Amino acid sequence: MITITINGKDIILDEPMTILKAADVAGIKIPTLCHHELLEPYGGCRLCVVEVERMPKLQNACTLMAADGMVIRTESEVISKVRQDMLELLLINHPLDCPYCDKAGECELQDLVSKYGPTVGRYREEKRKVPESHEDRVFVRNMERCILCTRCVRMCSDVQGAGAISVVGRGGRSRIEPFSPTSFNCEYCGNCLTVCPVGAILSRPHLHSLRAWQIDREVETICPYCGVGCSFVVQVRDESIKRVIPRFGLGLNNGLLCSRGRFGYEFRECAERLTKPLIRIAPKNSQKSEVRSQKSNPPIPPLLKGGEGGLSEIFREASWTEALDIIAEKLKDIRDKYGGDAVAGIASPRCTNEDNYVFQKFMRIVCQTNNIDSISRLGFAPAERYFEDLLGQGITANTITGLKNSDAILILGGDPIAINPILGLSIRAGARSGAKVAVIGNTKGLAQMIQDKTLQIIPPLFKEAEVLESLLLEIFKVKGLRGERPAMDRMVGKLLEKPLKTEAQGLDELKDVLLKAGSISIIVGMDIVQRVNGHRALFAIAALTYLLEARLYLLSEKPNEQGLIDMGCLPDVLPGGRPLGIGDFRRRFENAWKGIIPEKDGLTLMEIIEMARNKKIKALYIMGENPLFNLPKGSYIKDALRSLDFLVVQDIFLTETAELADVVLPAMSWAEKDGTYTNLERRIQLLRKAVNRASGMEDWRIISEISGRMGYRMDYRSAQDIMEEIARLSPLYRDLSYDEIEKGDCLWPYKGEPLRGVISEIPFVVEGVHEYKGELYLAPEKVLFHSGTISRRSSALRKICPEPILKIGVHHAERLGLKEGDYVSVSTTEGSINVLVSIEETIKDNKVLLSNNFEGRGVLSLLNYSIDPITKAPAIEGMEVTIKRLKLQ
Amino acid sequence: MERVLLKNIENPNSADINEYLKIGGYKSLSKAFALQPKDIIEEIKKSGLRGRGGAGFPTGMKWSFADADPRSPKYLICNADEGEPGTFKDRILLERNPHLLIEGIVISGYALGAQEGFIYLRGEYPHAKDVLSRAIKQAYKNNYLGDNILGKGVRFHITVYQGAGAYICGEETALIESLEGKRGQPRSKPPFPVNVGAWGMPTIVNNVETLSNVPYIIDVGGEVYSRIGSKDCPGPKLYCVSGCVERPGVYELPMGTSLREIIYKHAGGIKGGRGLKAVFPGGISTPVLPGDKIDCPMDFVSMPKFDSMLGSGAVIVMDESVCMVKVALRSLRFFEHESCGKCVPCREGVEWLRKIVERIEYGKGREGDIELLSQVAETISGRTFCPLGDGAACMVLAMIKHFRYEFEEHIKNR
Amino acid sequence: MLSETAIKELEEIKKSYPDPKSALLPALYIAQREFGWLSPEAIESVAKALNLPEAMVRGTSSFYSMFKHKPMGRHLIQLCTNVSCMILGAERLVDFLKNRYALEPNSTTADGRFSLMIMECIGGCDVAPAMLINTDFYGNLTEQRIGEILEKYK
Repeated sequence: MITITINGKDIILDEPMTILKAADVAGIKIPTLCHHELLEPYGGCRLCVVEVERMPKLQNACTLMAADGMVIRTESEVISKVRQDMLELLLINHPLDCPYCDKAGECELQDLVSKYGPTVGRYREEKRKVPESHEDRVFVRNMERCILCTRCVRMCSDVQGAGAISVVGRGGRSRIEPFSPTSFNCEYCGNCLTVCPVGAILSRPHLHSLRAWQIDREVETICPYCGVGCSFVVQVRDESIKRVIPRFGLGLNNGLLCSRGRFGYEFRECAERLTKPLIRIAPKNSQKSEVRSQKSNPPIPPLLKGGEGGLSEIFREASWTEALDIIAEKLKDIRDKYGGDAVAGIASPRCTNEDNYVFQKFMRIVCQTNNIDSISRLGFAPAERYFEDLLGQGITANTITGLKNSDAILILGGDPIAINPILGLSIRAGARSGAKVAVIGNTKGLAQMIQDKTLQIIPPLFKEAEVLESLLLEIFKVKGLRGERPAMDRMVGKLLEKPLKTEAQGLDELKDVLLKAGSISIIVGMDIVQRVNGHRALFAIAALTYLLEARLYLLSEKPNEQGLIDMGCLPDVLPGGRPLGIGDFRRRFENAWKGIIPEKDGLTLMEIIEMARNKKIKALYIMGENPLFNLPKGSYIKDALRSLDFLVVQDIFLTETAELADVVLPAMSWAEKDGTYTNLERRIQLLRKAVNRASGMEDWRIISEISGRMGYRMDYRSAQDIMEEIARLSPLYRDLSYDEIEKGDCLWPYKGEPLRGVISEIPFVVEGVHEYKGELYLAPEKVLFHSGTISRRSSALRKICPEPILKIGVHHAERLGLKEGDYVSVSTTEGSINVLVSIEETIKDNKVLLSNNFEGRGVLSLLNYSIDPITKAPAIEGMEVTIKRLKLQ
Repeated sequence: MERVLLKNIENPNSADINEYLKIGGYKSLSKAFALQPKDIIEEIKKSGLRGRGGAGFPTGMKWSFADADPRSPKYLICNADEGEPGTFKDRILLERNPHLLIEGIVISGYALGAQEGFIYLRGEYPHAKDVLSRAIKQAYKNNYLGDNILGKGVRFHITVYQGAGAYICGEETALIESLEGKRGQPRSKPPFPVNVGAWGMPTIVNNVETLSNVPYIIDVGGEVYSRIGSKDCPGPKLYCVSGCVERPGVYELPMGTSLREIIYKHAGGIKGGRGLKAVFPGGISTPVLPGDKIDCPMDFVSMPKFDSMLGSGAVIVMDESVCMVKVALRSLRFFEHESCGKCVPCREGVEWLRKIVERIEYGKGREGDIELLSQVAETISGRTFCPLGDGAACMVLAMIKHFRYEFEEHIKNR
Repeated sequence: MLSETAIKELEEIKKSYPDPKSALLPALYIAQREFGWLSPEAIESVAKALNLPEAMVRGTSSFYSMFKHKPMGRHLIQLCTNVSCMILGAERLVDFLKNRYALEPNSTTADGRFSLMIMECIGGCDVAPAMLINTDFYGNLTEQRIGEILEKYK
């Protein structure tokens, strides 16, 4: 207990803190410029000086710890004079840009000067000149306005952990560099911009667009990009999003964002947004459907410009009534003639819980089918199911902020910094406070964390399962069985009778680290699932989690994969994670929904595609998904989609898949509707509508309309109505309401009832041991600046990363005579595309990496797949690739 | 006074270990190992030794703070980043008597429970680096450094860390930052380095000259040492004299010797017979004294009473031919160049001062400039993060106080 | 990149410190020796050798004035013009260098032989004016003496 007196007021502090914080507790505001709540105190601006009795000089409130008995004054003539003087000194080299500077109105320097003075400056010399460059694609940096508070540098190195900028020079010649033209590992997170108190760092998308006080409204909402679910504020004017800004204290990200969240919002306003329902006029198998050929840098084609050819020969615009009538009629037709099994639906992890709930309800009750799945089949959904079956529901519900408190963090299957940047920041924070970080595979984003280089384990190509089983065996030798879950113990024992083993450098050290660590977190990316023996890797991870009592995290590229699972958009699961196969659960929903739910489990995603190809599935309803681009072996997918009798696509853009549809419906996107997302921590958060959109309809409303036309009324007036129903029926989301969710911290297990573990003996099939003896293989990767297919529509993100980049290791680059910036053709048996090359030191095995984000040049189009019999996920490894350097014209 | 620090200085081989041993070197080390570390700290306290870098903090007190901190490992850092203009005493010690320093470091390390010492040596002393490195090698060879010094089971290792041209790294927290591989910007105090220093551990930073006094204190005892020089500030002191004197150089004299005696008796008075105009008593960061105010005892406690400071004891003598405005300008250019840039008043204010004095010096002075100089200097003084800005400000204020007429003349006769 | 010997040297140096980051200043000196100055390539090689962010290496190296941030001549004249040296004529020596060798402060002679760096007190006040050429110290300078000394440096 520390008692101090501030300005005559006695305050009791229950923990040690600086005078600045103590004053804040007492409700006294002390002005600061170089201080920031997320950063360590700096003490450079000298504004926060206070008088402390019995201390001779004025003291820094931001660095001095409050001691018992201190008597402090924060206001006095002397202190006012100091503040005035310091501000005058800051202004002597500061340009008089206020009328022209974007920051005016939200500038901390401006605010302080207007509060503390001075009104007249005494400086009559020349202002300092600073070398300048304005070439950065996203940041506008004006060093003349910089007051060298170094918040940006400290944010970048101490919190973001990228270390991309630094103070260069000394004294008055100091300046912050670089922002352009080179940028060292800049992750374009914009956190430097967030903390800059003046107009020295601004955002180019927002430059000279409007003043801070000219916005119509500010709405707090959740980011549409990845599974972290950061909160931020959207600023709107004239029904257009002018800017996204984070806010400290808001959301789990507490004011930090990544490039996608910060700058990726423009996709919503892209001119290519669908506005009217479209009905196909050209026959599906005609040449005219081939609009998008493999161009090397395809521009996004104009939509339905009358008479210009292309799309206007394939679709015609229609009214909502016409389109919805057609859909209802066709679906009813096919359902009645061939049965519900001939209908299937693909839901979306970009849609809200409300959208997905209505979708699966419609599919089950109205279309009489359980053939419901989503792109989550490629990883998140089967991985979570697998882990939950073994270790209990909710095993992946762990907090991102808690991650940094781990003693050891093991990462595999993807780069957390690229996929879930804010989660990656938590890992970096952990590493800074002493956590041991180990990676099986490579992650560029954490390369600097791996100080002790032996904690990066490069598995033999695609053989993570082998590495994991070897590790498991070693851990088991020391720890033995845990005894808590007999079934797990049995299965571990059985596996370790015949484990797959391998040698890998660093495995011993990793074992030591894990055995010594108190709390361990294991972070799993979906690359692991997309392997030929993917389920084996999953089992090994589960076993390690079990034996080490570790916390498990699943990386997720989409914002609502967890929500989609919670809502039951799976062939064998009902809302709340309740298995379809159990009669009691089924009947409970049947009673509530007043309908019949088919008893048999439905087909998974790849099975749906296969059945479509075989014409067993005749009607497919795709909501917010682009399987033609987002699944491997595009040619097969295209055939399958073309074989359908009826394809409906409900989306915000005319995607590759939508071009093959019979009816295309324009949906409302993020920020245009209310709803909820459930993030990878299993935290439910509220999305708010921020702009009014004149065209399009909410996904759930579209489904409801169709449902009504098929004889099953869904009278939802708003998304909130839907949540009320979910809260009534889903055992997991019981008693939830938007009010509850708004209060924040709606974390697992909410107020609901988790399913008590149903452990089944999951057999693992011992596939033949695959050897990859080829020269070079192609593998997908997820990159930082792009996510799925919406990021390609954001001009800011395209400026940062304008095209797909093939990442190749040093050894192979040398062998092929490739240099940074060369163009190459990448060919497999599935096809060939031309891309830019980048040499990546962290790739040490025989593979090259390419992302799947750019039109016509996605890696999945070059990959084949086989189905893992347990997870039903497509295994996409093993494609040999030929790289040839292209000579530029 | 019998010389202690510059004992063997006329011997051209004084840096060699054999020469050092001949004059009784490393005897104090043996004596120290027979004492308890706490006793050694007591002796240092009794001796009244104060830091010779310029701050004059009682060394015994600093050591007892470190001793009270239970954490380990503790680090001992020798501050050899002698940067105050006019100062060269540490260079002399390093080049001519490195073993005295090494002996002092080992004894201090033993007393403080530190097993690793770093000598932060400024980059501008390449010769000293060579001499010091050789001396350290010799010390290792003769078992005065290593894992089992003198077979007594005491462990101490010294690493020489070379600076790269930054005056600010003479400030102990900036030094520690630089040692950790960062930009040399000072840290907030508290916490003090004795508790949270290099790599977060208790660290004692002492000047070269300070540590070089330690063997003598062990030899004769703190009581005897305390009787040399001033009562409140005892011991031998190395005064560096430079500028307009007959015999510039370093003089080892009792603490508290009068400035007049230093200039006229030991350094031979003004060269060329001109009149004395001004003196910086302890480097350019100490307030300048006019020629008629040099009857002051040169020690840490007395000098403030005479409107100045001892600082590093670097006496810079200026005669009638020297233009004070020019000296002020050059000094400000120095401070501006060496400012680390962390805090607003020093970074912006010192450059402002320099710009005004520059105009005055080059005939572009304006009415009101002198008042402005005083005002800006007052703005800086006492508000900066570390004493560098204070040094610049008080240099300007002292210049205006004693040599205002020169500034006025420059402004009038544009 | 840094040579094999340099990397080995660095590994030894790292052992003397509890945190490998302390090897940064020594590494910069080594890189300066190998590359001639701290070019972008030199900075990159240090950053790689110590696994530090490149921006950080650049920021730290630019703080210290004895690191060469641009290419310099074969011999670096480091001349002090601080107060003690200035009083005793250092500025005349600067003029001398300008007139005799066409050498301005912070620049290099046309033939790449000398560069001039103005120093802030090199501790040679007892023999002012003083200078260093590379690592050789010279005091009691006059125009004549400086001329003689510089002849020795080809």
